[in-house]
Amino acid sequence: MSDNLARAFIEHESSEREPFAAPARRGFRLVAPAPSRRARPRIFYALTAVAGMAAIIVAQLLLSVGISQGAYEISSLQSSQSELGRTAASVSEDLVRVSSPQSLAANAEALGMVTNSNPVYLRLSNGAVSGAPASASGSQAGAASLVPNALLTGSTLLTQLPDDAAATSGAVTITSAPVVPAGLAAPTTR
Amino acid sequence: MSVRNSSARTTGTRSNPTNSRSSRRRTFFTVAVLFAVIGVFLVRLVDIQVVQADSLTADSVGNRSVGQVVYGSRGEIVDANGVVLAGTVMRYNITMSPVNATPFKRIVDGEKVEISVAEAAAEIGAATGQTGDAILLTLSTALEANAKANFAYIAQKVDVDVLRAVQDLHIPWTYSENSPSRVYPNGAVAGNVLGFLSGEGVPQAGLESGQDACLASTNGSETYEKGADGVRIPGSSVTSTAAVDGGDVVTTIDSDLQWFVQQTLAARAQETGAAWATAVVQDAKTGKLLAVADYPSVDPNNVGGTENPDDRGSRAFTQSFEPGSTFKALTAASVLDAGVATLGTGVVAPYRYLPSNGANINDSHSHPDQQMTMTGVLIDSSNTGMSKFGELLTDQQRYDYMKAFGVGSATETGFPREDGGILHPAGEWDNQTSYATMFGQGLTTTALQVSSMYQTIANDGVRMPVQLVEGCRQSDGTVTNVPDATGTRVLSESAANDTSDILEMVYQKSWVQSKWNIPGYRVAAKTGTAQMPDGKGGYSNGYLVSVSGFAPADDPQYVVSVSIADPVKLNTSAAPAPVFQEIMSQVLKKYRAVPSGATAPDLPSTW
Repeated sequence: MSDNLARAFIEHESSEREPFAAPARRGFRLVAPAPSRRARPRIFYALTAVAGMAAIIVAQLLLSVGISQGAYEISSLQSSQSELGRTAASVSEDLVRVSSPQSLAANAEALGMVTNSNPVYLRLSNGAVSGAPASASGSQAGAASLVPNALLTGSTLLTQLPDDAAATSGAVTITSAPVVPAGLAAPTTR
Repeated sequence: MSVRNSSARTTGTRSNPTNSRSSRRRTFFTVAVLFAVIGVFLVRLVDIQVVQADSLTADSVGNRSVGQVVYGSRGEIVDANGVVLAGTVMRYNITMSPVNATPFKRIVDGEKVEISVAEAAAEIGAATGQTGDAILLTLSTALEANAKANFAYIAQKVDVDVLRAVQDLHIPWTYSENSPSRVYPNGAVAGNVLGFLSGEGVPQAGLESGQDACLASTNGSETYEKGADGVRIPGSSVTSTAAVDGGDVVTTIDSDLQWFVQQTLAARAQETGAAWATAVVQDAKTGKLLAVADYPSVDPNNVGGTENPDDRGSRAFTQSFEPGSTFKALTAASVLDAGVATLGTGVVAPYRYLPSNGANINDSHSHPDQQMTMTGVLIDSSNTGMSKFGELLTDQQRYDYMKAFGVGSATETGFPREDGGILHPAGEWDNQTSYATMFGQGLTTTALQVSSMYQTIANDGVRMPVQLVEGCRQSDGTVTNVPDATGTRVLSESAANDTSDILEMVYQKSWVQSKWNIPGYRVAAKTGTAQMPDGKGGYSNGYLVSVSGFAPADDPQYVVSVSIADPVKLNTSAAPAPVFQEIMSQVLKKYRAVPSGATAPDLPSTW
């Protein structure tokens, strides 16, 4: 700045003193044409710089649009992930609940199963029966669950499922004997 | 500078002294103003950047960003097979902003319909299972308390289905917040042992309380900036403190067996009109508890459903009682181990025995003098016969044996508020107590301590620490806080085996034989019938009836101890005997214990 101003000041004075100070003029002649020669390239550079800046701005704009587009995508994916996580947690909670002993016992009982607390073992090596065989008495404490589970309130037993639901689940059960491939020989049991 | 420049131009020359002075003054003035302005800026800059920096930053963060709690998950309590007994699930609170509760527009079938507050309340109520009026009442109550109320609960701890039903209504003045909750998928299975949390998540009882150091989690926080539309500004995460999940408590309980034991015990306790009952299943070789059942039980999902607060804990741990005749096995084992009597030693057991120290012992039923061996004394459960064997040891010797068996001190489980029972030092025993302690009166034990006594006899005389918890499993799979599992020898192997043989004879010859018979297995067991204290220093008419034993007697693997308090409809050991039979059968079946091959020993009961 100060350099520029000093030059302007000298130039001004020199133009005033021009008739009297001829020797000083020679020095300025050398300098003066130089800026005028560089004037055109300066505009070119300025334009280049402005264009470059514009390009950068546009590029940055496009980039940030892209990033924020990504942010929306991430946001929506995250919310769908958390929704799916909630669904998974809720479903596995249901699964754990119906696999509780109370639920299993109530369903088994509803299907007519009884427990046999009298274990008998057959030893395959010699065919010996260990234990004293007896028919199952179903001695175990009757149908009422004496071990409460508040989570099972309102859940239905398999046998109480409505007909259409039973039909749907029935479709899954195997209705015919599994087909044994002809190539497999029956194992010989000794 | 331009000023100076132009002044030079207008004056035309620099040689005028007046102009020069004026110019200098102006320059000075300008510079001074400039410095003043810069000074003001500088002060303000320091003020903003240094003095107020923290509060301004906080303000700006507060304006731009939202903070949220990242919940750490409280650890699970699992059984020996990994079945979850207690777990953490996310529940949701539905909240509203009463001050903003105004009618809003909703697009139904392409038309804008205005939904009034009452209609909206009814819709919410249908989703949460309340009446619309109840919600309107909450709304008006909140507004009465504060006309600008911005927060009120509609429903707390609802599951995700209800949350989604409410969210689908798109009512602009309703919100939701996360609320982690505890759930016990198996209900009352081991409920008494697990304990429960208060509504605020503070552990109240059982393992939840005793193992809180392992289970507790630490919540984290996350702060990020979001735009006007609620979308997180990319890369703007300001701070985040990670949440730390709690560790899992691995117990030695088998949930299926636990359910069976509770169900069987509850059925018999109800049938006999019992006040309360406990059953303990213990691994004879390791001391691990496989099932600890209490009746009445508590469902930790619904603690309020168990009205009496005393029923919400585990009496197996916290209630000591005079054990009665099951304790005779300990006295017999002590006498045999000390070598002062053998299986062949005989005594004369009268109906009433008046020892020289002035005590007065009699049997439960009148009988002539009987010539009995120790086996006979235990089969008939004769107090006088037991006294004649017991007095072969000094009080101090018997006291030392009792301490070694774990009587008088809480077991190693570390269960909160576990009762150690009452065992006064031998020097403080009066004459009657000196004899009463031989057959399980004058001292108290918990069901757990009785079980541990039988475990010692079953395990060739080596007492294992009673173990309920395997340890604390951290998130990386390592298990910490593993309890010590070093056994201590209490009896010689031969004394333990002799006692086991006697108990096997008791099992075969007892009057309840038909009620506890397990075909195919050799079993060792003993009944007990003890008067219960009336709470005023005397005895009530109630009895605590119990059965303790182990099987298979040829290679003991499982100890079962059943106690039923005050069964008004059947106050003999015929009450617990069938429970013992069913539980022991189930245990042997479940763990595939091989039926006994050899026949049971036959010891003489008389001489």
